[in-house]
Amino acid sequence: MRILAVVPAYNEEECLKDTISHLVATCPSVDYVVINDGSADSTWDIVEREGFNGVCLPVNTGLTSAFRTGMKYALAHDYDAVIQFDADGQHDPAYIIPMAEEMERADADIVIGSRLVDGKTRIAGARGLGSRLISRLIALTTGTTITDPTSGMRMYNHAMIEMFADGFDVAPEPDTVALVARKGGTVVEVPVEMHERQGGESYLKLSSIIRYMSRTCLSILLFQWFR
Amino acid sequence: MPIQQRLLLVIGAIFVFIFVTRNIKRSKILMTDAIFWVVLSAVLVIVAAFPEAVIWISGLLGFLSPSNFVFLAVVALLLVKEFSSSAQISVLSHKLEELAQQIALRDAADEERRRNEQQ
Repeated sequence: MRILAVVPAYNEEECLKDTISHLVATCPSVDYVVINDGSADSTWDIVEREGFNGVCLPVNTGLTSAFRTGMKYALAHDYDAVIQFDADGQHDPAYIIPMAEEMERADADIVIGSRLVDGKTRIAGARGLGSRLISRLIALTTGTTITDPTSGMRMYNHAMIEMFADGFDVAPEPDTVALVARKGGTVVEVPVEMHERQGGESYLKLSSIIRYMSRTCLSILLFQWFR
Repeated sequence: MPIQQRLLLVIGAIFVFIFVTRNIKRSKILMTDAIFWVVLSAVLVIVAAFPEAVIWISGLLGFLSPSNFVFLAVVALLLVKEFSSSAQISVLSHKLEELAQQIALRDAADEERRRNEQQ
């Protein structure tokens, strides 16, 4: 099974080097591609200086577009699976192989690295509240239980790579997970631990959280039936 | 608000909702952009179903009739939407120029390299 880690990076100069070095050291069998999403800082300089495998978008186009660039790359190079991997060091590469094994075992379309599947941990604060709301909505509309829908560590199989590469309005977000589950795809979860961000600024700034939640919730609730 | 106007609002809102969802299905609009129209149509239905709130606010602000207040509110909302669309188009134009320039410069650099290799 050939696995590609797609690493979208927008202004990630602080942690990109450590993240990629750690990824390569932990999983030598997994290929990776850094997608520099028009960063204003020295992210792309780091990619070139360190000789990382990377693609550079000349303007900032957003997480969805950056990730879809990676999916087009994966399709062109005929990978079997893609892991969505954060540049900020939150995700632990040690879980990539267990997730791939679970994908093969369960013949899954999407494998989510879940912080909560053990039933003990809870995400604190507003973030946890939003996560539980999305989880409830997905259960309501699809009948599938996803304990950690907002986890950004997801593995997609070849069919999903094609869907992301060619689709319209497919975001690497919980609403796509819900859409796949409702269309009869298999979505499973694997327990993972995540680290705190090692630096830099998240895609999800406080100002955009309301927009994120309204888009995600409306998309799951209403638009699932119209797609 | 007269019953005819309320009916008109509800029918209009339902029409907007069907129109928006059809366009989502045909991949003509992104979810992010569709939210505004869906929420707007929902608000129109609520206004038609419960006009008391609108009547109260319009009385408070000294409007002669609640319909005038609804018209003004909708015009104001559309102006705001129009401005944010303009701003979005500005950003898109800038990015498009940026991309065209990048491609042109890259082509020129490739051409230059090829000519140097030939010499």
